Amino acid sequence: MQILRESSYIYVRNLKTWLAQPWMIVAAVLSSAVMYLFFGEPLRAITNLPGFPTSDYQAFLTAMVIVMAVVFSGSDMAMVLLTDIMSGYVDKLLLSPVNRFSILLGTLAIGATRAVAQVAAILLVATVIGVRFAGGFPGVLAVTLATTLLAVAMGCVGLIIAVRTRSVQVTVNSWLLFMPLAFLTSAFMPRELLTGWFGIAVGLNPVEYILVAVRTIIIEGWMWEQILPGLWVLLATCAVLISAATFEYRRATN
Amino acid sequence: MHAPPAVRVRGLEKTYPGGVRAVDGIDFTVQRGEFFGLLGPNGAGKTTTIKILATLLPKTAGRADVAGIDVDADPRAVRAGIGVAMQEVGLDDLSKGRDFLVLQGRLYGLGRAEAGRRADELLELVGLAGVGRRRIGSYSGGMRRRIDLVGALMHQPAVLFLDEPTTGLDPQSRLAIWEYLDKLNERGVTILLTTQHMDEADRLCQRLAIIDHGRLVAEGTPAELKAGVGGDLVRAAFGPRPAEADGADPADDDTAAAALRALPMVRQTDAAPDGITATVADGGAAAPEILRALHAAGVPVAALTVTSPSLDDVFLHHTGRQIRDTDADADTDARVWGQWMGVNRQ
Repeated sequence: MQILRESSYIYVRNLKTWLAQPWMIVAAVLSSAVMYLFFGEPLRAITNLPGFPTSDYQAFLTAMVIVMAVVFSGSDMAMVLLTDIMSGYVDKLLLSPVNRFSILLGTLAIGATRAVAQVAAILLVATVIGVRFAGGFPGVLAVTLATTLLAVAMGCVGLIIAVRTRSVQVTVNSWLLFMPLAFLTSAFMPRELLTGWFGIAVGLNPVEYILVAVRTIIIEGWMWEQILPGLWVLLATCAVLISAATFEYRRATN
Repeated sequence: MHAPPAVRVRGLEKTYPGGVRAVDGIDFTVQRGEFFGLLGPNGAGKTTTIKILATLLPKTAGRADVAGIDVDADPRAVRAGIGVAMQEVGLDDLSKGRDFLVLQGRLYGLGRAEAGRRADELLELVGLAGVGRRRIGSYSGGMRRRIDLVGALMHQPAVLFLDEPTTGLDPQSRLAIWEYLDKLNERGVTILLTTQHMDEADRLCQRLAIIDHGRLVAEGTPAELKAGVGGDLVRAAFGPRPAEADGADPADDDTAAAALRALPMVRQTDAAPDGITATVADGGAAAPEILRALHAAGVPVAALTVTSPSLDDVFLHHTGRQIRDTDADADTDARVWGQWMGVNRQ
């Protein structure tokens, strides 16, 4: 219980820090809205391609907007953590008698909170522009939960980058690492329509399976044969990355 | 049964990856309630020693106990009983001063109400009560130091480690911090402070250890250390000879030194710019004799001053250098995280 109590203190502090930077929040929401604007209307004609699973391209795009925002949140996480490391604030926390994993937990929990807020904002925008969710309200909850878990996993990648490199230069540019994870996917077009090396690369990207699952819930509903691979990949990704981040964190603080 | 000392260090060593030996087998003890200083230039190993005692850095060899607890055996118990303010002030700029203190208190197990009450009390103590609800990012350098310092006091630690608490501050802020530290020590808090400022060590510390290149070169009260230099210093400034317009004859140095060494009370002579310094047991008694001897040797004396040795002289005596000449290996930017990352710093 003590670890939870301590984590909650760190979490509240991180939450206040986040809320103290309103432009970070506005920018996160705006960037998602802009995605619809830039890709939604201009690419609408893609839905006429044979084999395209829906006639509503905005609905097709919603999964991409959510997953992309969540994947890139790993880079934000790296910067948030690096700022605390560079300012010496992490040292200050480590000087206190709290369990070191409370600090880790409080940090990952704020990543999850940010993801929930961002995903909720995107789902709201999607609803406003007329996207209908085939999976219904349980689908909305499932999408939020799944992408929040993905955000935690990506936050772990960010944490490893910040802790390992301790470099502003590397951390600021860490979005480059997240870019292939976000773009080597069937974000704009179904996988069946992707060919050549791109098609192969998409097949190797774990985020693709999660994206497909999320998109299926949104545009087709509870089609388990398409959702389950994404679920397993999501759980495996979380297990691997949380373990890696924990290992790295333990190594760094011992 | 006697309570264990606040800090006990035996044969402490720290070698960083890459082979830099920052601490090279030091021993010292700080008694409960004492105000103890580690004095030395940058790179001497002071910060490394504090970090080991604060459980932020693993030692290579030796033993370090804080309040009788081995820092390796039970680091969390050590952390719970100490307060630490490092040279690199680790603050959360987006947090408000009072919120920062309350969180510090909570992390040390204080209840919400108690943490709030204590934060208000400490903000008052260091003159920050009026800005407690402002973000720390808007604070001046002196205010940041003070909030950092009281952050380390939220849980009323018995032992306080301060790494260069006034470096980079203006004289007024420095004086204010000194006064707070005096008050704390009067209340029974044991303080172990590192500094490279002689005046700070002299003003605050009841006992001092001088550290250089990772080794302790001297230890004692400021008065003992100064006495160890050999007594008072009598400095004679040479006057011009009647035929000369500018300064002393180079021959005066040798003549004066020979004349003074002939006096039984003179322990040592050192050349000074346009003059000579003699080390004697009692400056007041020796001054007339020195003046008479120089006059007899034909060395014109423009002024004679008697001073007690300063800690500058103590450092010079033990290391052969002045502290301000030895700032070569800066450890000022070392961060604990840097150590964990395998970055070779000291």
